[in-house]
Amino acid sequence: MNSATNQPASGAPREGAKDPTVPIWLIVVLFLLVFWGGVYFDEHSGWFEPQVYSPYVSAEQLKTFQVAGGPDIMDQGRQIYERTCITCHGPAAAGQPGTFPPLAGSDWVNEKEPGRMIRLVLQGFSGPGLKVNGQPFNTSSAMVPWNSLSDDDLAAVITYVRGNKDWKNTAPAVTPEQVHAIRAKIAAAHPLSFTPAELEAINPAE
Amino acid sequence: MRYGPYVFLAAFFALAVSWFGFVLTPQVQLGRPVQETNTVMKADLYPQERPGEARQGLEIYRANGCAYCHSQQVQQKGTLVNVVLTDAGKKTMDVAKVLNDEHLGSFSGPGVAAGLPKTLLQNATMDQAVALQSLLKNAGAKTDLHLVPIGSDIERGWGKRRTVAQDFAADATVMPGSLRVGPDLANVGERLPDMNWQLMHLYAPRSVVKDSPMPSYAFLFERRKIGSQPLADALALPKEFAPAEGYEIVPKPEAKALVAYLQSLRSDTPLYEAPLTPPPAPKTNAPAK
Repeated sequence: MNSATNQPASGAPREGAKDPTVPIWLIVVLFLLVFWGGVYFDEHSGWFEPQVYSPYVSAEQLKTFQVAGGPDIMDQGRQIYERTCITCHGPAAAGQPGTFPPLAGSDWVNEKEPGRMIRLVLQGFSGPGLKVNGQPFNTSSAMVPWNSLSDDDLAAVITYVRGNKDWKNTAPAVTPEQVHAIRAKIAAAHPLSFTPAELEAINPAE
Repeated sequence: MRYGPYVFLAAFFALAVSWFGFVLTPQVQLGRPVQETNTVMKADLYPQERPGEARQGLEIYRANGCAYCHSQQVQQKGTLVNVVLTDAGKKTMDVAKVLNDEHLGSFSGPGVAAGLPKTLLQNATMDQAVALQSLLKNAGAKTDLHLVPIGSDIERGWGKRRTVAQDFAADATVMPGSLRVGPDLANVGERLPDMNWQLMHLYAPRSVVKDSPMPSYAFLFERRKIGSQPLADALALPKEFAPAEGYEIVPKPEAKALVAYLQSLRSDTPLYEAPLTPPPAPKTNAPAK
């Protein structure tokens, strides 16, 4: 169609042949269609964001729909605890005497500042001389690093353990930002699991 | 071959452009390992691998052409928001004033705090809900926003939210279907959880759904002579569909696998790309004392 727009057909126009140029109204209609197509694209494409499906129209709009209102952070923490921690620390967080330290009423858990606990959950924990509430623990069974969990999940599970009234724990909540800050700080500096002596040396507020 | 290099360049350019368009761009858009994850229920692992029997069932579903008549795609028209008051705070007079000004009923001071949590505003748009939430926040009250997906499929109970690509991420063969001679099955595991109902429906669809156009899948069952006593697996069919006296209908492993697959089909998990507010989880499973 476009090739015929401005040029006459090949050869001289025959006598009585119709005007070979495209009528102006067709061009106007074409441009209107292109304009409508642009508007439609703008409203319905989601700009090719892979997570935007109708009825949502953009990533920004989808973001406004991410509201809380489901289970609270303690529920989330409980689910993660039951998936990851319960194997060693037990359903009542009582641990195993001499092998797995208890979390219920533990002096490590109930520190006001969460720095030590975030570090040991993130990077794991092993080495000689661990004492929880004065009881010595056999350190041949090291704690696995849980840095595969997200900041949100770690904050939830640590908050759940620290604030669990059933376990007589009363430490304040931990935010994902705190976990993120410590993760960023130790990622390069400390690849292996912590020892009790190392953790006792650090400032738990940092 | 005077034009050899040009032919080569043209072919190379055409292939390179299509490779960018058809391979690289989709990979960049969809193949990213990390996407935004759901923020309503972060602890949910989704989608999970189907259990082994259900995975075999997927093959039965595929082999019998179930997808020719059943889709697994719930559509959604929009998402409405309910504003739920969870904590009236200390300044109940201010909260009551906001609610009265917004014409959400007449409240008198302390009466606001009664019967929490309570729904203040139903089926609103996100903008309305956020506006009310910020008004109430200024008055010292706490509110939750509950998301309610709507659409004709959701009204039929075919799903809680729309189907998205992630729903199929754990399946090697995806069965989204394209035709709806029968109902959509995206949420059939939650909708019809009864295994015996499913088995009877496969053996004789009209024994449970009177006008069903679905063909009978009796070949997934075995008709056998009753031994010393009927098997526990045998179907409890109504008289007109029951086999002759002394015989019983027992599901083959294929039928059981297919039902296991159907029971594994659920679309009620909130996702980042398809958010919804799940019903409150039962407060059980508390840590033992």
